[in-house]
Amino acid sequence: MSPQALVSTVDTPLPALEVRQLSFRYGSVQSHPPGDRAAWVIKGMEFTVRQGEIVGVIGPNGSGKSSLLKLLAKLVRPQAGTIRLFGAELGALSRESISRQVAYMPQDLSSDFPFSVLDMVLMGRFPYRHGGVWNLVGWERREDLTVAEEAMAQTDVGHLANRMVDTLSAGERQRVLLARALAQVPRVLMLDEPTAHLDLNHQLEVCRILQRVHEQLQMTVLLVSHDINLASQYCDRILVMKQGAVVCIGPPQDVIHPRVLTEVYGCQVLVDAHPDTGLPRVSLPGQDRHQTVAVSGML
Amino acid sequence: MTVHPPPSQTTLSDPPMMASSVPLRKYEGLASWQALRARRWYAVMGLMIFVTCGAIVFCLQFGAHALTMAELWSALTFSTAGNEDVARVIIWDIRFPRILMGLFVGASLAITGAALQALVRNPLADPYVLGISSGAALGATIGLALGLGSIVGGLGLPLCAFIGGGVSIVLVYGIAASQGRLPMHQLLLAGVIVNAVCSALMMFATSILNPASLYRVVLWLMGTLNAPSMPALIGTGSCLLIAIVLLLRESQALNLLAVGEDAARSLGVDSDRVQRTVFLVSAVLTGAVVSVSGMIGFVGMVIPHLVRILCGSDHRLLLPVSALGGGILLMVADTVARTVVAPAEIPVGVITALIGGPFFIYLLMTRKYRFIA
Repeated sequence: MSPQALVSTVDTPLPALEVRQLSFRYGSVQSHPPGDRAAWVIKGMEFTVRQGEIVGVIGPNGSGKSSLLKLLAKLVRPQAGTIRLFGAELGALSRESISRQVAYMPQDLSSDFPFSVLDMVLMGRFPYRHGGVWNLVGWERREDLTVAEEAMAQTDVGHLANRMVDTLSAGERQRVLLARALAQVPRVLMLDEPTAHLDLNHQLEVCRILQRVHEQLQMTVLLVSHDINLASQYCDRILVMKQGAVVCIGPPQDVIHPRVLTEVYGCQVLVDAHPDTGLPRVSLPGQDRHQTVAVSGML
Repeated sequence: MTVHPPPSQTTLSDPPMMASSVPLRKYEGLASWQALRARRWYAVMGLMIFVTCGAIVFCLQFGAHALTMAELWSALTFSTAGNEDVARVIIWDIRFPRILMGLFVGASLAITGAALQALVRNPLADPYVLGISSGAALGATIGLALGLGSIVGGLGLPLCAFIGGGVSIVLVYGIAASQGRLPMHQLLLAGVIVNAVCSALMMFATSILNPASLYRVVLWLMGTLNAPSMPALIGTGSCLLIAIVLLLRESQALNLLAVGEDAARSLGVDSDRVQRTVFLVSAVLTGAVVSVSGMIGFVGMVIPHLVRILCGSDHRLLLPVSALGGGILLMVADTVARTVVAPAEIPVGVITALIGGPFFIYLLMTRKYRFIA
């Protein structure tokens, strides 16, 4: 068995995601007056994600990062604008065909229903299920198991196959969710805060797995993160969002800049180079410095 | 397993740690475990069907008139001479229809309970939360108040109840649905509202009933499986059969929905369609069951719970095992109801409530549940 079981075979030169004039708000049109601009969660976003790159989405709370991810996975529908997934209009694609191309990993798994890790990973095979009269309940086939096994090996949860998901640690749960996403054999992997609530060791683990998956399976990865340093280390490009709009998008070296971050987050930040990689690293100013910076900012 | 070299150059400039330095570990016992899963399904189902048959025979033997094993055997095998044999009449004309009704009603309550719990993502939900039962109860009460109880050859009461249930289904659905979707918190709230309004109207109706009709309403509300008619048996049985097929088809989708709606949708579950299907199937089945047997509580909550503890949450197994388990529980409870104070009877709803209440309390005290849909 090779990791090739998890590689999607379709190959096109088109960009993975092409977003044009995207606008979205929650609720019905009637609930907001036409001129109420604050109601828009996403307004007029435009950007492109190329095949095989890791793009990080950063921005302050409420800037619309999670909504953007939900829009791209067609969990919600935009009021205006277009999203193209490998050249195809997202709105015209069926839920099933999207779920064979895009895996969406929610923030955390919380459920009162106990499932085993294997059951959970096999759920990733739902887009490929085979029903019919003799398989009313939709049992998985041998291929499904092969893929699930490979996905579990990739995220290193194979030894947990028979454990109940609610008995796992946060890091292990996150890896199970990642395995489920990989079992979909997606071309695009979308992750909402994959490292939130994880300690340093588990953060590193998840990031390494993501990087391995990206390299070996040539997957396009789009991840929302609060952790700017993590995005800087692992992403090819970073999309900075503020109030539902793109502030800038580019390689970490260009985007992680004190001026940009101060404008977006509204506070002073320090940026220096990571001692190992030389990539930009962000820290909050110390107390003394904070005052000086604030004063010099006023002058 | 060997780690293949990365097929393409990484686009990251000088990654801090080579990702492939993390070794791939594989769990070898997986294939056999999967084979075991399918085999386990057949084994558990076979066992449950066997136990159900055993329970039917067991329940046939007990009742107001005690039968010996020999009498039971000869009546079951039709080996005694003469059609006027007492044992045969008792078993085939009195007990068997009633036991069958117990099986159908118990199975319906348990399978709808299991499906609804997944749908609203709350393991403590029960078929009655949808407000259908109180609609049916109101229908029955109004029917009796208007003197419709004995029309259509004694089917007047179930018919009125079914109509009442149907009206409340339309109401609950109408209140909860918005823009083609069926939000679950709204569904629960709509159920609560319809329940409350129907209860109030029913109290008003009972206050103007004559004592004889009032007695019938009260007995019916407590739940009874006494003397089911043939049309009622056939109607409930066929509703149950159709519901089982429709719900089993959605069982894997229910698994995904139970874990989270966003995730389920991203995995290709058409959640709007699944929610509508499961709601309508459950509502119609509950309406049918309530109209023939009255209010029999706790079966729909307790049984799926027990099955989940014993067999796990996979709805492909949970749904059919719950159905059989609910059937067994109600058959046995009804046998107790008609035996312990024979020749009088305890309403079977009392027995299920006496079993279910303490179980519910036990669950609340030993497990941590979130009460948010």
